[in-house]
Amino acid sequence: MKTITRRGALAGAAGLAAATSPGFSRAQAVKPRLTVISQWSAGSDGAAITALGKKFEEKGGVWQHSPVPGFTTEMMNKLRAQIMAGDPPACSQLKGPEIAAWSKIAPVATLDELVAAAGYEKVVAPDLAKLHKPGGKWIALPLQIYSTNMLFLSKRAMDKAKADKVPVTWADFNALAEQMKAAGVTHPIANGGTRPDDGQKFEAAIAGISPTVYRAAFMNLDAKALKAPEVKAAFAQVRKIADWMDPNTAAQHYSTNLKRFVAGEMGMMIQGGWAQGVLLNSGFKLEDFIIAPGPSDNGKPVFLLNADAFIFWQRKEADLQAGQKLMAQLVMDPAIQTMYSQITGSIPVRTDVDLSGAGWSDGQRRTAAALKDAVASNQAVLSLAHNMAQENGMTAAIIDVLTEYVKNKSITPDQAVARLTDAVEGAR
Amino acid sequence: MHRGAFTPGRAFVYAVVCLIAAAYLLPFAVVALNSLRTAEEIAQTSMIGWPQSWAFGNYAIAWDKFCVAQTCSGIQPYMANSALVTIPATIISTLLGAVAGYAVSLWRFPGDRWIYGIITIGIFLPQQMRLLPWTIVLRETALTNTLTGLVLIHTIQGLSFTTLFCRNYYVAIPQELMRAARIDGAGFFRIFWRIVLPLSPPILIVTVIWQFTHIWNEFLYGVTFTTGQQQPVTAALISLTAAVADVPQHGVQSAAVMIAALPTLLVYLFGGRYFVRGLTAGAVK
Amino acid sequence: MSTRPATLDTMRRLPEYLVIWVPLLLAAGHLISFALWTIWVSFTPSTLVPVTGWVGLRNYNAVLATRNWNIAFDNLLLFGTAFVLLSLLMGLGLAILLDQRIRGENVLRSIFLYPLALSFVVTGTAWSWLLNPGIGIQKLVNNLGWTSFRFDWLIDRDMAIWTIVIAAVWQSSGFAMALFLAGLRSVDADLVKAAQIDGAGPLRIYRRVILPVLWPITVTVVVIQLQFAITTFDLVRALTGGGPGIATQLPALVVYDFMFQRGLLGRGAAAAVLMLLTLLAVLLPYWAWRYVQHRRASRA
Repeated sequence: MKTITRRGALAGAAGLAAATSPGFSRAQAVKPRLTVISQWSAGSDGAAITALGKKFEEKGGVWQHSPVPGFTTEMMNKLRAQIMAGDPPACSQLKGPEIAAWSKIAPVATLDELVAAAGYEKVVAPDLAKLHKPGGKWIALPLQIYSTNMLFLSKRAMDKAKADKVPVTWADFNALAEQMKAAGVTHPIANGGTRPDDGQKFEAAIAGISPTVYRAAFMNLDAKALKAPEVKAAFAQVRKIADWMDPNTAAQHYSTNLKRFVAGEMGMMIQGGWAQGVLLNSGFKLEDFIIAPGPSDNGKPVFLLNADAFIFWQRKEADLQAGQKLMAQLVMDPAIQTMYSQITGSIPVRTDVDLSGAGWSDGQRRTAAALKDAVASNQAVLSLAHNMAQENGMTAAIIDVLTEYVKNKSITPDQAVARLTDAVEGAR
Repeated sequence: MHRGAFTPGRAFVYAVVCLIAAAYLLPFAVVALNSLRTAEEIAQTSMIGWPQSWAFGNYAIAWDKFCVAQTCSGIQPYMANSALVTIPATIISTLLGAVAGYAVSLWRFPGDRWIYGIITIGIFLPQQMRLLPWTIVLRETALTNTLTGLVLIHTIQGLSFTTLFCRNYYVAIPQELMRAARIDGAGFFRIFWRIVLPLSPPILIVTVIWQFTHIWNEFLYGVTFTTGQQQPVTAALISLTAAVADVPQHGVQSAAVMIAALPTLLVYLFGGRYFVRGLTAGAVK
Repeated sequence: MSTRPATLDTMRRLPEYLVIWVPLLLAAGHLISFALWTIWVSFTPSTLVPVTGWVGLRNYNAVLATRNWNIAFDNLLLFGTAFVLLSLLMGLGLAILLDQRIRGENVLRSIFLYPLALSFVVTGTAWSWLLNPGIGIQKLVNNLGWTSFRFDWLIDRDMAIWTIVIAAVWQSSGFAMALFLAGLRSVDADLVKAAQIDGAGPLRIYRRVILPVLWPITVTVVVIQLQFAITTFDLVRALTGGGPGIATQLPALVVYDFMFQRGLLGRGAAAAVLMLLTLLAVLLPYWAWRYVQHRRASRA
């Protein structure tokens, strides 16, 4: 892989060399084996994890992946059933604060030595690192990153509106939407209407208005911050977004709008980086759209972090332990992260991977640059809508309020703020 | 009410029936048409429409090509898994239900009403609620991640319906027949074998159809209690539909849905006649 | 042999007892133990996995204070009533139509029955396409020239529950039809003839001869459709996902959501127990009715 920096490659090599860590030393002689549970079964997700499995096999391992198709809930049901049966997988997909929650119900493996050997902690965003080492010990490893508040602009809609500037603040965004509407773009916003989509609209709004309030209100659940005027302003912004959407989208996935988005009948979309892959796989071209960081009122990019990760469960079998070690090394390896992100359209967790190579898109480069800037200005925050900021129970309770607000135009921002505080209290 | 006599009234009846039939066929038609359209065509035009070019290739992909993660074998092996669970569970739960229904309806014993009442409640319990208890049962019986475990679950859960159906049917068997048989010295098994079972085909067909479709279409247990290559066909279908971060493959997905629905559709197509006949013969009393 | 004859008899009849009791105990036993287990969990602080402990009525209070649960409960009342009545009427109507000795009865019957064979994947996705105003029936009719035609219940939070009623009636009215058709076919033909000779019109025959036969069937249909209504889960999940917003939540969804999606087992169990109690509130009158009927029948 030519796209990796020298330092990254060295770090990866160091990880592979750290084969003598005591916890894993017994695993030396056996053939590494790994049992994995994930929900990644189809499309680019399925292709990416399959490619990872191939690498695992190339290193002499036995790859036993059980994809649990469907929604995250079914995957967790499967994990729960395995844990209750005393047979957890060696490694399973899990993300955000759920890592800490689940690590309390069954023993997990400790990856500290492997992480230290690979020098991984230095190249991971601090907020992200924290999620994967609850109680101070690394038990899970992040694999790839998306930002949930990227702004997708339709080139044709921009042409129609005779606009050429990418909006930076919410005021710019609103002006552009009005401009598009005046120019005949019937629905300036092309988002969908699913629960996470409604959550995304709101978190993009509040984080763009004030990342500080977002952090206090939605990451730390500060009761005062939840009632802050910024939260009310975010609800008002979401109402604007909702009014610019096609009312027919209801529970539809955003991908049903892509055709109209590219054709310029719809103008903008607040989506995660994954939408790029979806657009390309639907037969549309990179020239059809622009990807930029989502609106931020202070002008510096705000990055709503969404990271997929693997948690490692404690297993006594020597071959599984060897498999866990190999897997951990692979997941931290810059070459593997490059391969993975290039398939899925995400960006690597490692901040030291060079994205200038041909395998990366402008959107990915911009996302990576946004992450770097956001980390520098302390504006990289954890996504609520994608279960990174809170445990699932709290997230779902908040999203109930958000999705109801988006769908019911008779709820005022003031009422929404009141409902939000109630929901948070009820779920605490 | 004579067949063939064509009156305005009958024309009206035909018109109404055909209209309703068309409405009933509509959802199926949409899926069937989409199964012959390419994903691009659906994405670029609309979800509902006539195929511009007939994409029969969707069926080939659905049958043995599309990938569920690293396994690119299409829907075909999952069909076999579903059959391996559905067929034994249907047969066993039907037979046990027949015996239980026979016992409850024709052999009075203490507590029979209570047991029957509890079993009736069983049909009302949502299966989501039983997921964790079953997890514990499978752990205790060491049947987690086996098709046998799924057969066990579906057999026991199916007992509620099969017992109910059979009991309601057997209640109609005249008591004189039973009395006469008992005077002749016939016991529990002999009466079941000689008298009850020969009368049973209509209701057994009803329970078989019912069980077969329910078990075949079940998703939650199938996906939770199996692993990797043992998953039932509904799990493979979901892997095609629920790829949230990806382009919906509506064409292949619809083709896979058509293939997966084929066994149950055939069961209804060929069994439908007996279904009504079986119900007519007494199950409704 | 020193064994007494009674024991000998028991020994001889052992297989019989086994065959009677094993399936019955399995069927009833698993229900009782699962229900008791759920009741126990509903009083514990369980989150991701069941744990021991006692929190009293905390889970119940939390569930009852949730908007989702209240909406779901109201929806169940509306959905349950509308769905049971409509599928009853639809089933009866179709059965009467099919009973007119029409040609192609086999084909038509299969058409009305086939939705029962389909899983929620088909039902939910196909209906979500058809009912979506932007791509489905509304668009089709608009394109045909009737541009003011509106059929946008799917996105209307007051009407969305009715889309679930439509899909559910579509899916299971065939079963009601089959039962009613069976009932109509079992009507004594001689009785109908006798009534005709007496000069009774078709309406009168329906009322006097046929409806009495259909009455017990109606009860069966209601019970089975009620079961369908209460356990409805997949259909909503695939069709509306509980939306728009949380407008089409149903108790079974809330139970699943609490238990597994939110990782709040205790609350989910409490919701499940509340569902069970509601169920008993419906079933007890039915049992009382059956009991009275049974007494009347044995007296006659």
